[in-house]
Amino acid sequence: MKAFDYAIAENRAGALAALKREYKPKAGGIDLLDMLKERIEKSEKVVAIHQVKDLKGISEENGALMILPLTTLREIGESDVVKKKFAALSDSCLEAASPQIREVASAGGNLLQRPRCWYFRSQEFNCLKKGGGQCFAVDGENRYHAIFGEGPCHIVHPSNLAPAFVAGRGEVKAVNAAGEERVIKADDFFVMPDRSLYAENVLEDDELLTAISFPKLPERSAFVAIKEKQGFDWPIASCAAALVDGKWNVVLGHVAPKPWRAAAAEELLAGVKEVDNELATRAAEAAVKDAEPMSRNEWRVALAKASVRRALLKASGKEWI
Amino acid sequence: MSVNNNVAMENELPRPDVDEKVSGRAKFAADTFPQNVIYAKYVRFPYGAGKVTRSDVEAAKAVKGVLHVEVNAEKTAQYPGDQVGKIAAESLQALKDAEAALKLRFEQDKPRTEPMKFYEGVPEPKAEEKEALDKLFAEADAVIESTYTTQVQTHSCLEPHGCVIDYKSDGAKAWASTQGVMGWEDGLAGSSGHPASKVTVDATYVGGGFGSKFGMGAEGNLALEMSKKFSRPCRVVLDRREEHLDAGNRPGSIQYFKMAAKKDGTILGGRQHMASIVGFRPGGGGVAENWLQYYKSGKVVRTASDVTLNFAIPRAFRAPGHPQAAFAFEGMMDELAAKIGMDPLEFRQKNDTSDRRKKQYKIGAELIGWKDRKADGAGKGIIKTGYGVASASWFNSPGKCDADVDIHSSGEVEVRVGVQDIGTGTSAVVADVVADHLGLERATVTGKCGISDYPPGPASGGSFVTRTTAPALKDAAQNALDKLKKAVAAEWAVAESDVEYDKGTFRAGNEKLEWKEACQLINGKIAGKGSYTDKFFGEGNSDCVQFAKVEVDTETGNVRVKKIVAVHAMGKPVNRLTAENQVYGGVIQGVSYALFEDRLLDPHTGGMVNADFIGYKIAGAADIPEIIPVLDVEENDTGARSLGEPVTVPTSGAIANAVANAIGVRVYDLPMTPDRVLAALARKDKGATA
Repeated sequence: MKAFDYAIAENRAGALAALKREYKPKAGGIDLLDMLKERIEKSEKVVAIHQVKDLKGISEENGALMILPLTTLREIGESDVVKKKFAALSDSCLEAASPQIREVASAGGNLLQRPRCWYFRSQEFNCLKKGGGQCFAVDGENRYHAIFGEGPCHIVHPSNLAPAFVAGRGEVKAVNAAGEERVIKADDFFVMPDRSLYAENVLEDDELLTAISFPKLPERSAFVAIKEKQGFDWPIASCAAALVDGKWNVVLGHVAPKPWRAAAAEELLAGVKEVDNELATRAAEAAVKDAEPMSRNEWRVALAKASVRRALLKASGKEWI
Repeated sequence: MSVNNNVAMENELPRPDVDEKVSGRAKFAADTFPQNVIYAKYVRFPYGAGKVTRSDVEAAKAVKGVLHVEVNAEKTAQYPGDQVGKIAAESLQALKDAEAALKLRFEQDKPRTEPMKFYEGVPEPKAEEKEALDKLFAEADAVIESTYTTQVQTHSCLEPHGCVIDYKSDGAKAWASTQGVMGWEDGLAGSSGHPASKVTVDATYVGGGFGSKFGMGAEGNLALEMSKKFSRPCRVVLDRREEHLDAGNRPGSIQYFKMAAKKDGTILGGRQHMASIVGFRPGGGGVAENWLQYYKSGKVVRTASDVTLNFAIPRAFRAPGHPQAAFAFEGMMDELAAKIGMDPLEFRQKNDTSDRRKKQYKIGAELIGWKDRKADGAGKGIIKTGYGVASASWFNSPGKCDADVDIHSSGEVEVRVGVQDIGTGTSAVVADVVADHLGLERATVTGKCGISDYPPGPASGGSFVTRTTAPALKDAAQNALDKLKKAVAAEWAVAESDVEYDKGTFRAGNEKLEWKEACQLINGKIAGKGSYTDKFFGEGNSDCVQFAKVEVDTETGNVRVKKIVAVHAMGKPVNRLTAENQVYGGVIQGVSYALFEDRLLDPHTGGMVNADFIGYKIAGAADIPEIIPVLDVEENDTGARSLGEPVTVPTSGAIANAVANAIGVRVYDLPMTPDRVLAALARKDKGATA
């Protein structure tokens, strides 16, 4: 780890002022400290924002749910409101990382987490995402890389919360140092590498997340993560399914550079409220129809498919076995 | 040697150092920061093969606090992590900044990364052997032919390799993470030029070794060099990445079997070829052949070879050569049984050479619920349950140990032995053997180990620590007790032979003294000495069997181990909790080996892509099944026998057999990850069987 300047912001204004001076925001610090230790993040200025008080909390009003970005994964996962009204979100928090990490990791930090691609994370591979000339995953060890998307970088988006965030038709509010606020819909928040190679979302460096909200809570929802290890491990495929405003949203996680909306599956489910096994199976097949696996990860297509079938059945209150 | 080798106790006391360890007060080598300490590390080549072509040594030297930088541009590096330079600095920060400032550039040679590309296949046997084999296969009712592979596993000790050395002109002191404190002292004495009497090594607490921490190693050599050069204590402690790359690994294997059997279950024999996937040069591999003793295996023609890859050479790893062998031969046994239509347990009962294991099969089968085992792949639904069994044995190699037992006038008993507790609970054994022999409470006895100035004890390898230290401890305790008896006899003016001793009480006629009263007769302390040199301490091998129950998700290929029953003969357990701990630990390591651990190399550059604990997956708490340790102690068992290694040998084989039983098709490769399970299921759809 490089030595860095460390500032502690006590309020939003302080945090934004620091961002303007090119400080990197540290909430739980889980990912940022890893990136600094690995010398992938080269910034020498860090501002701690975890003490900013009005950025933490969960509230529900008029059928809408608001989660402030510093709320921890444990707090969201164990929240009665979230459990009752948005099971996919609470489950995706409780499936993430380890109890110790969930205690400090924030919702915002999870959404903004950098990819776990081992080429990106290792100094000796000067990959595309770090400004190098090639994606080493293309003909390298790509068992955990993307099975959707056309590159040029083949990461999978690492966030556990992101699929539920997109499936729940969420949106974030951000503010910059000039005090300009904007609302970004989940579908527009994450971006593919052909549009933005060095960042996985549209948040600017001087912007601070101030809210994660779901204007209309889902009638039904579920999140299913398929993991190799049952404890601390990133999923090898996941799916969040949510029935919002009478329409199913089916979003795959950990299989593409961004949360992957399975439009073909959603079309198939149009007009249906409760999904049975036959329909869930067809929807799952539709969801992976356009998968383009790499040299060593074709097996994950079956896992993505299983996650869709299971998430739809779970959301419909049915056993998937 | 007149020591009664019957360790009679089986106490259930927790380890004496448990508070220190769970509270963080225990000081490991990496917790040692002597005044004025400096830091050193190797500069490492990141890829499979090549040379350093450019390095900014001047820039690295210019980093504030940097003391020494050298880069060897002449050296052809042969594995990721190979040492191509050295840095020393005032702080860890300066050390790492200097490393970054070097801005190394490399020239890469094409590395050898894929075993199957370099595997030369099964060699033709000699003409007469081939003829005999052909005849045998022709006579057989069933012949199976399979190739199994196992991965490279890194040692992944929780405490990294490392040490702190304080070299002075008149002696040297070291704090080391080692499983052989006496050998470390010899190494330090030899390398420093100081006599052993002027050298002390402290390994009071050690966080795992598994065979990778014998001797000073590269870390010790560097710490000594820099401590000498700068006349200051020097720390060299590896980081997790270095641990994976250059601190030990279990070689992988490619194992071929063509075996024949009769319908009645008789194994006729066959052909076996064992290729070891080793480091950048041949050697260090080897697949164990003990199964030939476990089972009546008929005539087997065996050959072996090495496949070299650009990686660090293997080190001894808990039961070297055995877990990889067990995975393959236990699979082969089940394949033969399936081919002749016999239950695999019945097939083993028929062919096992050990009566002890034949008994253990019955115990294990009962506890795992073998009667619920269905035909291969016969379960309904997406989640399928399976049962499997595998076995092993361990021998008793020769060992030596000396020990001191002091009885103080306060009544306290102090034990010193130059063995180390690498996490196995040896410190409990050291105290408990003496407490038991003297018939005293553990609280009266302080067991000390891990310091090289103590009487020489064994290195922690070959599963011989308990069975060589226990008799030496008893010998020393008896020696000290005899001296105390003598003092009591003198006090009472009776013959020594008239003094009786039982559990802390001395008696002769009407005279009686309790332990503390008797000890007041001592001037300062009584010094008892003990030693042991022998091959056996207790008769017989440590036979064992393990049973596994698994659930396989046939839609995702995920394997969950639900339960392991581990039945182990090991003489008499000295301390039941630490003995059971060994079983738990071995089984957990076996589960992790069966399902998760795998060193992955980038096929083009040869860099290890998962040199951390995120990409290199190790079983966590949620992955660990219910484990039922059965310490199989029979009336006639004496002494303490081997345990630390056999506990991890059969686990992966039992799990693999359970997986094959669950899904009706065999997974031939470790680890059994979802992709491999799904591929096996796809083969089944094309007609393959278990």
